[in-house]
Amino acid sequence: MSQHLIFKDIDQPGLHTLDVFRSRGGYGDRLKRALQMPREALVEELKASGLRGRGGAGFSMGMKASFMPKGAMDKYLVCNADESEPGTFKDRELMQKIPHLLIEGMIIGAYAAGASRSFIFIRGEYAQQADILEAAIVEAKAAGLVGQNILGTGFDLDMWVHRGAGAYICGEETALLDALEGKRGNPRLKPPFPANQGLYQGPTLINNVETLATTPFIVEMGGAEYAKIGVQNSSGTKLVSISGHVERPGNYEIELGMSSRDIIYGLAGGPGEGRSVKLWFPGGSSSPVLTGDDLDLSYDFDTLAKAGTMLGSGAIIVVDDTTSVVDVALKTAAFYKHESCGKCTPCREGTTWTVKMLQRIKSGEATPMDLDIIASVCEQIQGNCLCVLGDAMAMPVGSMVAKFRGEFEEYIEMARAESEAALLASILPSVGAAA
Amino acid sequence: MPRPTPKSITFSIDGREVQADENMMLVDAAKLGDVEIPVFCYEPKIGAPVGACRMCLVEIEGIPKLQTACSTPVKDGMVVQTQTQRVKIAQEAVVEFLLVNHPLDCPVCDKGGECPLQDISFGWGGGKSRFIEPKRHFEKPLALSPLIAIDRERCILCYRCVRFSQEVSEDYQLVLHERGAATYVGTFDSHPYVAPFSGNIIELCPVGALTSRPYRFRARPWDIEGGGTICTLCPSQCNVHLTVRDERVLRVLDREHPGVDDGWLCDKGRFAYQAIHADERITAPMVRDGGVLREVPWERALEEAAKALGRMKGKVGALVGGDSSNEEAFLVQRLVREGLGSQAVDTAAGLPADALHALARPDLQATVPDLEFAHTVLVLGTEPVDEMAIIDLRLRKGVRRNRVKLAVATPRPSSLDPNAALSVRYAPGGEAAFVTALSAALFGGEVDGPARSAGADADAVRSLAEMLRTGGGDGGPPTPGDVVVLYGQNILRGGPAVAPALLKLAGGLNLAGRDGAGLLAVPQDTNGRGIAESGALAGRGPGYTPGADGARDAAGIAEGLQSGDLTAVLLVGTDPVRDSASPVAWDAALEKASMVVAHAKYLTAGIAEHANVVFPAESYAEKEGTVTHPDGRVQRLRPAIGRQGSIRPGWQVLDDLAGRLGLDLGVLTGAMATTQLVEAVPFYAGVTLDALGGTGLRWPSTDPGVQAFPEPADLPAASELPALASPNGELRLGTYRSIWASPEVEISPALKFLVPRQQIEMSPADAEHLGLRHGEQVTVGEGRASVSATVHLRNAAPQGSVFLQTGISDGSANVLEGPLVPIQGRELAAVGAPATSEASDASNASDRASDTDTLAPEPQTPEETHAHESSQVDVTPEGTEPSPTEGAGPEDNA
Repeated sequence: MSQHLIFKDIDQPGLHTLDVFRSRGGYGDRLKRALQMPREALVEELKASGLRGRGGAGFSMGMKASFMPKGAMDKYLVCNADESEPGTFKDRELMQKIPHLLIEGMIIGAYAAGASRSFIFIRGEYAQQADILEAAIVEAKAAGLVGQNILGTGFDLDMWVHRGAGAYICGEETALLDALEGKRGNPRLKPPFPANQGLYQGPTLINNVETLATTPFIVEMGGAEYAKIGVQNSSGTKLVSISGHVERPGNYEIELGMSSRDIIYGLAGGPGEGRSVKLWFPGGSSSPVLTGDDLDLSYDFDTLAKAGTMLGSGAIIVVDDTTSVVDVALKTAAFYKHESCGKCTPCREGTTWTVKMLQRIKSGEATPMDLDIIASVCEQIQGNCLCVLGDAMAMPVGSMVAKFRGEFEEYIEMARAESEAALLASILPSVGAAA
Repeated sequence: MPRPTPKSITFSIDGREVQADENMMLVDAAKLGDVEIPVFCYEPKIGAPVGACRMCLVEIEGIPKLQTACSTPVKDGMVVQTQTQRVKIAQEAVVEFLLVNHPLDCPVCDKGGECPLQDISFGWGGGKSRFIEPKRHFEKPLALSPLIAIDRERCILCYRCVRFSQEVSEDYQLVLHERGAATYVGTFDSHPYVAPFSGNIIELCPVGALTSRPYRFRARPWDIEGGGTICTLCPSQCNVHLTVRDERVLRVLDREHPGVDDGWLCDKGRFAYQAIHADERITAPMVRDGGVLREVPWERALEEAAKALGRMKGKVGALVGGDSSNEEAFLVQRLVREGLGSQAVDTAAGLPADALHALARPDLQATVPDLEFAHTVLVLGTEPVDEMAIIDLRLRKGVRRNRVKLAVATPRPSSLDPNAALSVRYAPGGEAAFVTALSAALFGGEVDGPARSAGADADAVRSLAEMLRTGGGDGGPPTPGDVVVLYGQNILRGGPAVAPALLKLAGGLNLAGRDGAGLLAVPQDTNGRGIAESGALAGRGPGYTPGADGARDAAGIAEGLQSGDLTAVLLVGTDPVRDSASPVAWDAALEKASMVVAHAKYLTAGIAEHANVVFPAESYAEKEGTVTHPDGRVQRLRPAIGRQGSIRPGWQVLDDLAGRLGLDLGVLTGAMATTQLVEAVPFYAGVTLDALGGTGLRWPSTDPGVQAFPEPADLPAASELPALASPNGELRLGTYRSIWASPEVEISPALKFLVPRQQIEMSPADAEHLGLRHGEQVTVGEGRASVSATVHLRNAAPQGSVFLQTGISDGSANVLEGPLVPIQGRELAAVGAPATSEASDASNASDRASDTDTLAPEPQTPEETHAHESSQVDVTPEGTEPSPTEGAGPEDNA
């Protein structure tokens, strides 16, 4: 039951051009209607749609827009296109194939926020997508869709693409703002939240690419109608990136509330013949892992939260039974250690420490007691950091240690025996020869 | 902006009800309830909290996650827990995390014993570590600058130093490199961190990562004693805490005083203590014998001086300057006026007494904190970072945090220009005309004529007037707000028109009697205000009371000596050949004098050359007495060490000398001198050593002081403005005195690398016209009145004027005769530079960087050049490390 809204025409050739996009309904009546609505009414529509942020945190987009202060001042809309979460590549395809949908969504978002300047902060590695977006903005400007007096409605909006320099942390909204201002990309203390003091201290609405790209459909269908798609508290469709041990990895647009088994096995084909799902990340590498027993969970915000994990960015990573959980844990921890900005203590030191302990497990120098330390370090990182990057390592690694402790212990014993044998062989070559 | 008026609220912490101001940060509010919450990164002096170290996590009812107390404003009814198991576990975890990569080399660390990380680990840590992995390693220790060593392994990345550089001193040099656990602190271009306030990061560092190179391995906290006093190296008069070991000052720390220094020190104040113990210091009385100054016993020196002065009664002059205390100034004028029958006493600055008196009116005085909370601040004819360094930070703070509108009106481009809403230039020598033009623009009158005479743009003067008049800034109709005018007292040299115009400005802008507004002078001498108030002022006795006839001011004394009307002179705390505006005249005058008695710490040029008797003077670490801050705060000097060599207290020497001349001053202790002073100066009523305590007393804000202030006479309005010489092939001469131009800097081994050399700042256009290039050596002036200087092109320098330094020991610009100077190119300098300056003054960073360039030594030796390229090189200036063997102490090998 794959639902098609955003990706409806995804395979249409030339969809990235203005003409084809227009022929498919883009920049049509829905945009004009949005810009002619009173601002409050548009925000109400967004609230009514129940659209929750698609970047990871899942906060109501309409609520966020309603936090923007009224009155004349410099306000900004920022699109977070720093899609860096391992396993997540939905925005990439969206920007590459339908850049104008994002631009249209940004016009609507900016109008709702009362912003007259907007920025797309795109990760530096997405060079091709940035080029495409820039070309699309030029097209849109030439067509009077971006700039002064859009569609004759009197609404002005300027738009820039800003390329990041390759730090995961810049996907965190306040770090993104610092980076956009030309500073070192470090998260800011919240409050103040960006809606009050964001870019250049001005009120700023920050949304993910997919969130903004959804708004044209909300305007088109009406908020209430959109809210009918999906399930309670998780309305609408969601782009899901499936990767790992599945037959057909890729992006799929699903209606929220679909069974996870249907996604992993139905859409993506599941792991290969004779293998089974050992564990899976339901929402990017920062979500606590689920096991093969959890495959029948409904894929929506609330159900996953109840299961102790999260929908996050909608990136499902499947790991089958041929892979050691220790490798998965080390790989995950090493990524977050590398990307920790270093500003706050628990994340900076905790991720490094965890990686060192996991490496010790790999090299056979650990004892099962180290698992307790890993668990306790992960626990101390969670909730005590300046931003959620620390949690992003602590949650999945902590969940792996908790759910696969037996396998970790086995691994420790095995690796230690191996390393002791190797050590012995190096000291006493005769013993090795005799054996 | 007006100071905020806080509302009192009640909150509960660990079950205790505590009253606090609303929106105070919880960390601070907790202290009111005797609850200590540990912090590393939080330091309100630096600015808004960053919540980085996570040490201060506490539980707040109604909020699910633990919160950082450093960044949580306290609200009415808030319920806070700091002792729950949850908080305890989180705080122990943070300590454990911090120690993961910390080397724990406390036994060889300078910080050991006074280290917040030690204290907090002990108080809030779990007591044991579970970390058995290898720690992070960096090369160490390195020289972050010639003054600061950095040990990156000890660093806990609290960001304090970087925030100081970025948000307080705004030199923008320190940054964090790399990220995560590999993050480290350094300068952005890896050059040494050389800046006027760099030393503050040593004190900010909560671990032993940043240590003072002059102090390294010199003492442990249990070896030392402390003593609070006032730094008297500049008029800022910062409150300091001296670290003393075995009667030697080894370190200077700030003793935070919000009314004076805001808890910061400049590098001169922090490191020039070395001059106290330098070999160059005069520690015994000296008498000229056979043309050479020789050390003699006190008896002989006093006898020698008394004999000569006694013979020349009525023909003795005295100049008092520098860091002379109020008591010394007071006793000197008594000695000269009562004991020697002469009225030739003046301050070293020699400014008109009438003007000083009129401008010292208590209702006109702004306080230092006013600079931070005013609506508009006008910096007039002074460069704060050079002349009263700590004020520079206060102005930056006001602009950054309270959105104070800053206007700068100076001849020379100012380092505050990038922070200023408006910068106006006038020509050197155009002070009177400029102030007249500004006054006319504000209150009516002709603007264009005086502006032209000042070499200023008339429209810019009008904009400045508009800004001062409408600086209310509350969004409503333009209203005059609180205006503070910070003026360099030396602008009074611009002629008799300056003071009346300033007074008119103050009256018209409604500054009189208004809290948060007023005038604030930057005097030339550290205790310029106190010396004048204590009576060492031409024509005025103590407390500006009218003096007897026959007064001579500083210039008059020089003339008198030359003409023979005076035959002897006392130089107390000043060497006019080095410090005065007319060194040539003074050189001749001292040459002519039969007797020159100096009270000095160092044998500077004029004293070495001319003094017949030299009494060794006390430094601020040894002196007892009072000084008066430019904003009227009487502050107390307290001895922290014994006097070096055979130095005697200033009051004792003066009393002794007076006794031999038949005058009983009646001073048997330092405190008696203070008592006499307070009795003689009416507006110091109520000042006692006890009342001064550690923080001083601002007399203009005391009722007895205000009532006792003698009403100044009306200043006659100036008849005529001095005409401005028009640059006709030659260029107008402007001078400035660098913060580093002082004997203390020359003598302190650690600071020697900062001693400025003469350079001529000029605009690229003028240089092109004269065919000069950046870095070229030129001769400025003619004949004896000439100095050699290196051309320094500055884009922001106004055309038609050049700027040279005064106060330096070699080739000081005060020998030059203005207003115009000829400039002649010589051979090309050894150090080549591009024809136009790389230093663009467009941005703050580069402006500061170019200023830094002028402070740093020219890279001449290969060694130094190398040091500029990489901070990895140990740029050890002579003597900053104890010795090669000591330098390679246990820590260096660790």
